[in-house]
Amino acid sequence: MTAVAFLIIAPLVAALALVVVRQDKARSVVVVVATLALAVTAVYLAATSITTPIQSFNLDAEPLTYLVLAIDLACSAYVIARGVRLKNHLAVFLAGIQAVLVTLFELAVAHHVATATDLYLDQLSIIMVLIIALIGGGICLYSLGYMRDFQAHLDHTAHKSSQGGDPARLAEARHRGRDRRGVFFALMFVFMSAMYAIVFSNNLGWLLCGWEVTTVCSFALISYTRTPEALTNAFRAVNINLAGGLAFCLALILLGSSETPILELDKLIFEGADGMFMFPIALLVFACFTKSAQMPFQSWLLGAMVAPTPTSALLHSSTMVKAGVFLLIKLSPTFGWDVNGMMVIFVGALSFLYCSAVAITQHNAKRVLAYSTIANLGLIVCCAGIGSPEAVWAAIFLLIFHAAAKALLFCCVGTAEHHLRSRDIEDMDNLFVRMPLLATLMALGMMAMFIAPFGMLISKWAALVSMITSGHLELLLVLAFGSALTFMFWAKWLGKILAMAQGQSNREKTIHLSERVGLGLMATLLILATVALPLLSSDVVVPYLQQVASTLPLAQSNGPWGTVSTALGFDNLLLMVIVLVALLAVFAARLPSRRQPGNDSVYLSGVGLDSSHRSFSDALGHPRLASQRNWYLKSLFGEKLWERKGNVFVGLILVVGILATFVLEAGGL
Amino acid sequence: MTAVSFAFGLVAFGLLAPVLGCLLTGADRIITARLQGRVGPPLLQPLYDVLKLLAKEKRQLQPFQGFYILLALILAILAGAIFFAGGNLLVVVFLISLSTLFFIIAAYSARSPFAELGAEREIIQVLSYEPMIILMPAFFFMVTGSFDVSRALSLELPPITQIPLIFVGLLFVLTTKLRKSPFDLSFSHHAHQELVKGITTEMSGRTLALVEITHWYETVLFLGYAALFFVWGSPFALVIGLLAALAIYFLEIIIDNSFARVKWQAMLGWSWLVTVFCAVFSVLSVLVVKNYFL
Repeated sequence: MTAVAFLIIAPLVAALALVVVRQDKARSVVVVVATLALAVTAVYLAATSITTPIQSFNLDAEPLTYLVLAIDLACSAYVIARGVRLKNHLAVFLAGIQAVLVTLFELAVAHHVATATDLYLDQLSIIMVLIIALIGGGICLYSLGYMRDFQAHLDHTAHKSSQGGDPARLAEARHRGRDRRGVFFALMFVFMSAMYAIVFSNNLGWLLCGWEVTTVCSFALISYTRTPEALTNAFRAVNINLAGGLAFCLALILLGSSETPILELDKLIFEGADGMFMFPIALLVFACFTKSAQMPFQSWLLGAMVAPTPTSALLHSSTMVKAGVFLLIKLSPTFGWDVNGMMVIFVGALSFLYCSAVAITQHNAKRVLAYSTIANLGLIVCCAGIGSPEAVWAAIFLLIFHAAAKALLFCCVGTAEHHLRSRDIEDMDNLFVRMPLLATLMALGMMAMFIAPFGMLISKWAALVSMITSGHLELLLVLAFGSALTFMFWAKWLGKILAMAQGQSNREKTIHLSERVGLGLMATLLILATVALPLLSSDVVVPYLQQVASTLPLAQSNGPWGTVSTALGFDNLLLMVIVLVALLAVFAARLPSRRQPGNDSVYLSGVGLDSSHRSFSDALGHPRLASQRNWYLKSLFGEKLWERKGNVFVGLILVVGILATFVLEAGGL
Repeated sequence: MTAVSFAFGLVAFGLLAPVLGCLLTGADRIITARLQGRVGPPLLQPLYDVLKLLAKEKRQLQPFQGFYILLALILAILAGAIFFAGGNLLVVVFLISLSTLFFIIAAYSARSPFAELGAEREIIQVLSYEPMIILMPAFFFMVTGSFDVSRALSLELPPITQIPLIFVGLLFVLTTKLRKSPFDLSFSHHAHQELVKGITTEMSGRTLALVEITHWYETVLFLGYAALFFVWGSPFALVIGLLAALAIYFLEIIIDNSFARVKWQAMLGWSWLVTVFCAVFSVLSVLVVKNYFL
């Protein structure tokens, strides 16, 4: 209990300190100390409770109810204030309704419903805690160095425009260039605190509170640079997530005011698995889709990349989007062959397919990563929708490996961007020579996303088995085509960064220590998680699934949840681990030889001049550079071709699904 | 698959597959020559070529290309060993996919315009055939209840009788995997339609020899995929599987010589169309069989 409370409260204390502290050094100390404290607590919590993980805590909820309401209202008030100031009426409107609904819920509904368990701890929350504390913590450390460069760049820009003389532009540049890094780090810690609240809360009112705090934090982080583009995208993000929050709130009001009122997650799962509360669950599903940026809500996550890169790393890996899939995984016993299950499966599957295809057409590295995130979340959502133990096994491992690999990739791209002054994949050509360490880590992250023997692929394999055993054969096509598309966009990017031309210098000596530490930590976690996969499966995830199965109603525990088995045998997992270790070892052993000079030159049709720059003598005898860009297949998979159609189609599935649950429940079926 | 059967598979595949692969490619060259009205080289010509390549002076742009190719070769051997030891079919598919990735990276690593173009084309080839290659083990699992190749030997009827369309789909993409026209976009042994030397433009000497040997291993393994459809719990199963593989290879040689290379759009379009068609109708037939006959 102490550790749980510490994880929720300590980041808030750190955030407060970060707002107050102004000096760069002191801020670094606070961030490092807070990150270490949280990481140690998380590991301690995991180590001590992994054997007896099911713990539940009941708190005297009365004063806390007001605190929760106050936080909810503060969130709404902040959005309303920003919305009024920047004239975004939709945000004001949504946040206004939110404030009214939350007040109504807390004072008129929640007060009359007693809760038996407010906070809980099980194997899944332990996994989430480790992800948040270690990967989120790694990102915080990384940000120290990254934000130093970021601020230096802002100061530089402000200084340049101050020489222009135009006073209006000068004031604007100063305003934007103001050092607000304290707020930035504070927001990161508040974000993590909210995530802990989400993964520990069994009281749905508290869960909603954490949910709203992540919405507002992401809004503040996306709008960090205060450029018009950042503000537009921040409002898009907050509007979509507020819509999800409204659905969440509505679901809770319905749950709390029904004949058998329920405001606890475990009870909701039990009743839901029995076929009750379909409509409120559909509303919760809607909220999860907005948070996890599933189609048709993907635009907010794509827009979020205007923020400093650590924000993207945090949003995409350990927080925000993971809150949505976390709740869906929790709810998955209530899905399966019913309307909600179908809705979740198809929205997830189509998001996976569409975003994998569109990722091929992108050459902005951060956009590729963003599309790949939505695609992988789609697959997790799809697995949660299938709702069998094998599928949930796959979903949990997809979540773990995606978090580790995506955090690493975003941070690598952020550092590359600062050194190359570009986030275009074509400009990362030859990165292995220019920034060998960074390119190696990036290659590791990419391979972890799509190829054997890394964890993502093993999880996809489990997903494939669960599709067959659950009878969802149509999903096999989705998985097969989606995986092929995934191969394409990663392989061509990987090829670009691993290209090696002679005669170019190493440029990575200026990477900050904190960035190196953060990147190293994430890479280590990624490898450890993959190597430990067989153990994680047998000692953490399978017991979790067994525990879930034991709490379900008879219809479920006699049905798909009757036998909890893993899709993959231990020997196959072991084989993958051996291949992985061997691969990493030979690559590491080979790495020092990269400086050996070659004794040959690139073939340039016999008219080459300089091999390392690929210059050749053209028909008039002038030197020219041969260039080769990757293929992007825009004519087949272009965003413009499919975005609108895809969104309308998936939106229709969503609307029809939610309406169907409403009609079914109103009809008492 | 036990450790003993894996070790046996490793030795058997590691030693026999290159011999078989070399003979198959040699036969391919003779048959191709006859189809074109030539006499053709001796049967062991591919071996002579590889021996000559191995003896060549070492020329390299940088030290990593040969390393990646070596990894590709080792992974292909590992995959084949698991397959012929009766191991997990999906693991085989994944390892081959990793092997192909290293081949692609090897081409990119040279940073040569022609090699990069070849690598891009190889990726498009993967995009074309991979869906079918992933679906094959999935359907094998539906028929046998396991991904283990050895399970085929205890079937009452060969898989071809239950999922014939999956075999057709596999046959279609096998042309690409075996690097045969009309889908040999990344590199081809038909000099007349080649762009320099495609993905292998910057590979020479020992590295190129390894590429050729990898191709031998892969040819045997991929023919194994096809032969799997003709194997069941019968004493004649392995002989019939072998004969089927040889027939399929002969068919691929005929196809290779009957078509010119197509554009990538055609390859991608046709492969995906055939994959979707075969998979959808196989799903339907599996469901029908499950619901009405069992």
